[in-house]
Amino acid sequence: MTATLATPLAEPVNDWARLAAKARSRRRTTNVLLYGFLALGALPILVPYLWLFTVAMSGRTGASTTVLWRTLAVLIPALFIWSMLRLGMEPGRRLRLIEIGLAIVAVALLVVLTGPYLHLDNWRFLWNPDIADALKGVSGIGAKFPSVWTAFWNSLFLAFVQMTIVVTVATLAGYYLSRFDFPGRSGYMKGLLVLHAFPAMTLIIPIFLIIYWIGLLDTLAGVILVIAALELPFAIFVMKGFFDAVPWDIEMSAMTDGASRRQAFRLVVLPQVRIGMLAIGIFAFLRGWEEYVFVRTLLLQKQNWTMSLYLFWMREDVMGTDYAMVSAMGVFYVLPSILLYAFTQKYLTQMTIGGIKG
Amino acid sequence: MAVIELNGVTKRWGDVVAVEPTDLRIENGEFVAILGPSGCGKSTTLFMLAGIYAPSAGQIRFDGAVVNEVEARDRNVGIVFQSYALYPNMTARANIHFPLRFKSVRPEEAARRVEAMAALVQVGELLDRRPSEMSGGQQQRVALARALVKEPGLLLLDEPLSNLDASLRLTMRGEIRRLQRRLGVTTILVTHDQIEATTMADRIICMSKGRIEQIGTADALYHHPDSVFVAGFIGSPPINLISGDAANGGLRVGEVGLPFVGAAPGKVTLGIRPEAVRLGEAGHAARIGDLEPHGRETIYHLDTPFGPLRALEAGAVARFRVGDQVKIDVERALVFDAGGRRLGDTIPPRPA
Amino acid sequence: MRAHGSGRARRRFDRLIFLGPATLLLSMFFLAPVLVNLGIAFTDMGRNLRVTAFTTENVARVLSADQRLIGVMGTTLVYVLATLAFFNVGYGLILALTTTALPQRTGAFFRAVWLLPRMSPSVVYALLWTWVVAPTDYGLLNQALAGLGLPTIDLKSDAPMLVIVLANGFIGASFGMIIFTSAIRSIPEHLFHAARVDGAGELSIIRHVTLPAIRWQLSFVTLYQALSLLVSFEYIWLITDGGPFYDTTVWALYVYKRAFDNGQYAYGAALALVLVIIGIAVAMLLWRFFDMRALLQKPRIEVS
Repeated sequence: MTATLATPLAEPVNDWARLAAKARSRRRTTNVLLYGFLALGALPILVPYLWLFTVAMSGRTGASTTVLWRTLAVLIPALFIWSMLRLGMEPGRRLRLIEIGLAIVAVALLVVLTGPYLHLDNWRFLWNPDIADALKGVSGIGAKFPSVWTAFWNSLFLAFVQMTIVVTVATLAGYYLSRFDFPGRSGYMKGLLVLHAFPAMTLIIPIFLIIYWIGLLDTLAGVILVIAALELPFAIFVMKGFFDAVPWDIEMSAMTDGASRRQAFRLVVLPQVRIGMLAIGIFAFLRGWEEYVFVRTLLLQKQNWTMSLYLFWMREDVMGTDYAMVSAMGVFYVLPSILLYAFTQKYLTQMTIGGIKG
Repeated sequence: MAVIELNGVTKRWGDVVAVEPTDLRIENGEFVAILGPSGCGKSTTLFMLAGIYAPSAGQIRFDGAVVNEVEARDRNVGIVFQSYALYPNMTARANIHFPLRFKSVRPEEAARRVEAMAALVQVGELLDRRPSEMSGGQQQRVALARALVKEPGLLLLDEPLSNLDASLRLTMRGEIRRLQRRLGVTTILVTHDQIEATTMADRIICMSKGRIEQIGTADALYHHPDSVFVAGFIGSPPINLISGDAANGGLRVGEVGLPFVGAAPGKVTLGIRPEAVRLGEAGHAARIGDLEPHGRETIYHLDTPFGPLRALEAGAVARFRVGDQVKIDVERALVFDAGGRRLGDTIPPRPA
Repeated sequence: MRAHGSGRARRRFDRLIFLGPATLLLSMFFLAPVLVNLGIAFTDMGRNLRVTAFTTENVARVLSADQRLIGVMGTTLVYVLATLAFFNVGYGLILALTTTALPQRTGAFFRAVWLLPRMSPSVVYALLWTWVVAPTDYGLLNQALAGLGLPTIDLKSDAPMLVIVLANGFIGASFGMIIFTSAIRSIPEHLFHAARVDGAGELSIIRHVTLPAIRWQLSFVTLYQALSLLVSFEYIWLITDGGPFYDTTVWALYVYKRAFDNGQYAYGAALALVLVIIGIAVAMLLWRFFDMRALLQKPRIEVS
């Protein structure tokens, strides 16, 4: 047995210099492939967004394509240099300074190369509520478009009220499911789990009928209730998870200190689950802000239009020939989502299953 | 393989220095322990040797050649992790066989090696079990077999025993030591347990805060520590450390003056091993403040002219009771300067 | 001292406050719709939204599967399988594997890029795709092709299935990406270290360490996303509107168009019944075999 173990393995390992060279080249190849693949893969996503923005800022002058390609001609090399820096240098103050320098150069180049073409004319729908009529005065078809601000406030209202309902209802239910035992509790939980995975989109016909029967068709209230209900199974589970993580002792000691159960809930437990409420709130808000299918199905009158419907009909309508204005409207619509997402991303990306609509 | 050398090897994480520039040489076939409290940089050093972390500066040499850039997979190193890190989806056989997948070994030969290795670490009967079906000790043996099956030039053990219960730890200590002697593989053990280091290793490298404090045999580290840190870290019950002053060619600790040449005036620290405190009929007057019977030995907590001291005395039955007045004699004391470096030894005078 | 009876009343009142609103909303828009759908499928409800007779005609029509329906089924199958395989599972996995191999911040950047489409309102996202594949010189794809000296193409007419697979796939990939990323993150780091020391290369590590560890998530994402794709029609509706002709009309879109465009609510409900049944079956399957409970414990948001 000892003899077996003593037999040397086939390849002797002693050519350290060759192995080091091999490692160097392998590391380089891996890095180039990895970054190259991811950067190329990100292009088809980023370029369309850039295009939207470019057209919104420079459209109707015929310079959009120039602006887009000039921007890319600055950004792509800048990003390339940046990633090379990141790969080649130790993080620290020096790298930070070089990065800032690079950013300044890139921005300066952008201003010089594209600055002359940029203008805000495409955003005139923001301060001219009758823009649609002005455009259509020429062609003279179609009914009156509401002001974009009507749609904006409708969307904001819808998203906000819906968010409030989701957070309130899910917090109450999550707490109860986490802390109280009641007959049928496990059945309730199982039912919720099935609902959580069940695709609600399949129920759009009966949902439409129910909304119609209870007289909420063509009201924002109807849409709000529907979207809130569909968000609930997920939100309840997130909140239940958060309540489960709050130790019993906290409530117990609050109650021995003389608080009632409800006071303990409000004063002691709720502050512990703020993050969960924040997260489901952001999700619900984004969902309400971006909703299309249900508002399209359940809202008919133009005065009830949300941003999604406004943008959709704007594109369908004669105004759709004004690509630049549609772009500006698109940017106006997408920006709040992106900003909210960017600032809260660290909370959102942690929520995995079902946290993002699939 | 393999003489291992570190020349100024350093590891920084951003602005945090995990391992200060370190020089070290480990001879072929040697069993060395890196000993230190958690966070002292010992595991980082080990991972740099394995090729898992790249050093920020300095050179790692195997047999004189710089291997800084050589990948872990090419270093011909075997490693056992604290958590064993067995592949949970594979049987013990597949786990042990895994390193051989990447070597040009014929299948029959590989199978034979796996069997032989398993027999050597006494898991021959468990080869078809998965890690989840094995006890901690068994997983540990499989991990050892996996590390050794490719006949590494260097075996690295990262706290391999700390997840085992006390009696198993005792057995495994001996087994690993025997296995290492038999295979003659250069071995580095990382541990925070001084008993492990002193019982298994030929030499001990004592580390603190990313720096090597001292390298030496267990005996050297215990009796001739270079620093207060080493003196305090090694030894159980721990050494008595008392602060004093150096002045006029001598030391003053508590009420006692000691002869000592070579200390600059200022603060010093006196280190007295508990067993160097002798309880008897003559010497300094002391009082037994408390005592801890430990079966084979007794630890006394004394109030003495030096200050409070712990004393260790062999014998199953305590000779004194709490409150007893006794006489003590100190055989030897270590003297450290204000920076913690050892200046020398002194023998405290016995009063008439 | 409070009487026993009043304690019980208070508990009941608590339950009403805490659980009542959720129960009401869920019953109204989940449970009731399932029953309504089942009922309507057996009526003659048309454009006027009135029920005059009960009939099995619509269900029979679904079961007999006319030529159009068979075509729709084929389209649905191609769309679901292609998007699932290439993007929701395939590309999602590749993204998770590649971004976790990068330094933390860089990986997070690329993941954020891939989450962008999911966070954008669907109408905007669809607008972008319409402009990418626009058949004119102005279309982004054609601009790029022109740059390479290639002739313009009309992807939406010539390869509409490709367009909807790509458009849905770019959104779908991020779901798997997020799930797989957190799964890969939770693999003990020592396993990767051990594999590297044992001599494994990147591909061997993926095959022997990563994939076995995320097997569970792979099955989950496959099943869950298959269901999602099966019932989704939003982006198809917005980008190709099911066309040209019926080339990209998937089952879910067909349901919608039958009901809301043609006013055949009963037939639509009968068609939807198929999706509802599949939906309930898969949802229960997910819960049974994948122990959704364990999964759902996890959605914890850690402040980092």
